[in-house]
Amino acid sequence: MSSRARLYSTGIFALGIVAVGLGVSNPYEQQLLTIIGIHTLLALGLNMLMGYAGQISLGHAAFFGLGAYGTGIFTTHFQWSPWASLPVVLVTSCLVGYAIGRPILRLSGYYLAMGTLGLGIIAHVIFREWDTFTGGASGLVGIPPLVVGRLVLGLGRTGFFAVWATVVLFFVLCGRLVDSRIGRALRALGDSPGAAAASGIHTAHLKAVIFSFSAVMAALAGYLYAHLLGFISPSSFDFLMSIRMVTMVVIGGMASIWGSLLGASVITLLPEWLHVFSDYEMMAYGLILMVVMIFLPQGLTRGVLDAFQRARTLRGAASS
Amino acid sequence: MGTQKPFLAIDGVSKAFGGIQALYQVSFDVQERHIHALIGPNGAGKTTLFNVISGAFPPDEGSIRLDGTDIQGCPMHELVRLGIARTFQNVELFAGMSVLENVLVGCHSRTRCGLIGAMARWPWVVREERRARQRAMELLDMVGLADSAHKRAVDLPFGWQRLVEIARALAAEPKLLLLDEPAAGLNAVETEKLSRLIQHIRASGITVLLVEHDMNLTMDISDRIVVLDRGRKLAEGTPREIQSSDAVMEAYLGKKQ
Ligand SMILES: Nc1ncnc2c1ncn2[C@@H]1O[C@H](COP(=O)(O)OP(=O)(O)OP(=O)(O)O)[C@@H](O)[C@H]1O
Ligand SMILES: [Mg+2]
Repeated sequence: MSSRARLYSTGIFALGIVAVGLGVSNPYEQQLLTIIGIHTLLALGLNMLMGYAGQISLGHAAFFGLGAYGTGIFTTHFQWSPWASLPVVLVTSCLVGYAIGRPILRLSGYYLAMGTLGLGIIAHVIFREWDTFTGGASGLVGIPPLVVGRLVLGLGRTGFFAVWATVVLFFVLCGRLVDSRIGRALRALGDSPGAAAASGIHTAHLKAVIFSFSAVMAALAGYLYAHLLGFISPSSFDFLMSIRMVTMVVIGGMASIWGSLLGASVITLLPEWLHVFSDYEMMAYGLILMVVMIFLPQGLTRGVLDAFQRARTLRGAASS
Repeated sequence: MGTQKPFLAIDGVSKAFGGIQALYQVSFDVQERHIHALIGPNGAGKTTLFNVISGAFPPDEGSIRLDGTDIQGCPMHELVRLGIARTFQNVELFAGMSVLENVLVGCHSRTRCGLIGAMARWPWVVREERRARQRAMELLDMVGLADSAHKRAVDLPFGWQRLVEIARALAAEPKLLLLDEPAAGLNAVETEKLSRLIQHIRASGITVLLVEHDMNLTMDISDRIVVLDRGRKLAEGTPREIQSSDAVMEAYLGKKQ
């Protein structure tokens, strides 16, 4: 997309968010939309890693949890202000992401999938078992909300705007990233690692950098999640959550910024709308992943756009 | 010529894959600003030597010096920065990218913008991007593909894809360019253009190491030729010397019983 097209679409998107934010007053819907925003951040970050650089992670809930538990522990056990814990959480996830990413991304294919899966499992075990700090299986309660001046950010309208403002910010940042030297290097890496290295790209470093970036985005999502809900428990950061994240990316479309929004919406809304879904969630994700991979390997966004384009070309051919 | 310090010195390089000795104690020097050809039958080890020089894998033994420095163990991206760029025998373009973007990736080692810079878009980043685009367009113009800059690289005819690869390699501002069978799949007219392009590249100060099966092209433009056969250096000399060498003719036309 040209940078001008990107600017316009982001502007329209931001206006749309303001309209929705002001228009929706049902607390349940506000909450749902806020969660969609948090999931969009997760999907967008993971998409940079999966869609652009072509590296899978089946354990990214670890970083979502790192952000949530990190700030949860600082603000409850040590009485930090949430604003003080924000930079600490982001810097920590950045460093941890790089430190883990550098060795783990030497793996590829199935091995990388297994390695990251292990990472997610270890993180989940830590969240669940380290009860002195994490509260164990019953979770961590009493996480203070974010306060801006006299405004307390809760799950209602204020939280909605906080989350979606962050989403818009990251749409802009990721859009710029994709259209840059680094974005091209990422896509080069995804397309042909050999040719990327032969073009002077330090592939091991770049992979770790983008892994770290996606870790920071997941941690930021976790930070917002923890302060908006005020309560976290390990089940929100388990293997299923990692799979949910991957499904969002795949449904929305690899290497598609807008697709992350779509994928996050679908995966958040489906269990709400179809209650049977919740009992068979894992199976449903498996099915969705299979169907999308077989019929729309580019994801819904690209798949639907392509179908649209084909229909138009056909119509054009028929009318001429 | 012997008094001149070699630009690229390949010294006793061997490489085996399992039981296959792809290279065995290969040594030769490449002079600066020469077009140096590497020929030999299929499986002779030409591409393997390119892989070793460009750092894809280390040799089992032997050393390689570029402009006097030992480049043993240098990772690939470091070698690109030092001035080695290459193309691939089986064209490896980035499929999801336009022709221009492919060449821009080639600029990677000569530009600096990082992740933060890309998101912040500082003024220097914008300037750097503009310069890179300008440079990439110049290179596309040079290989005659400026009109196709915004097409998807993999949609181009195969012969043009080779030219995109050359432009991408040149974008790294190499001192040494490794071309692996650049004329394969080109027609006579295209080969003629390629011949002029390679000579133009040399004239701009770049040393070219060329693997090529097209003998007319090779004999025409090379300053010196090394012949490999089953991993060993069979002969070395000027195109005339090579053409009149019995050993070379044997390797190509089959051994007399
Ligand atoms: N990565 C590899 N793994 C295993 N064997 C290899 C590898 N690369 C090359 N070989 C083997 O080494 C030998 C030399 O191959 P190489 O590709 O260097 O030949 P070449 O001279 O480039 O031939 P061609 O003209 O067909 O391109 C061949 O027998 C090949 O099968
Ligand atoms: Mg070869």
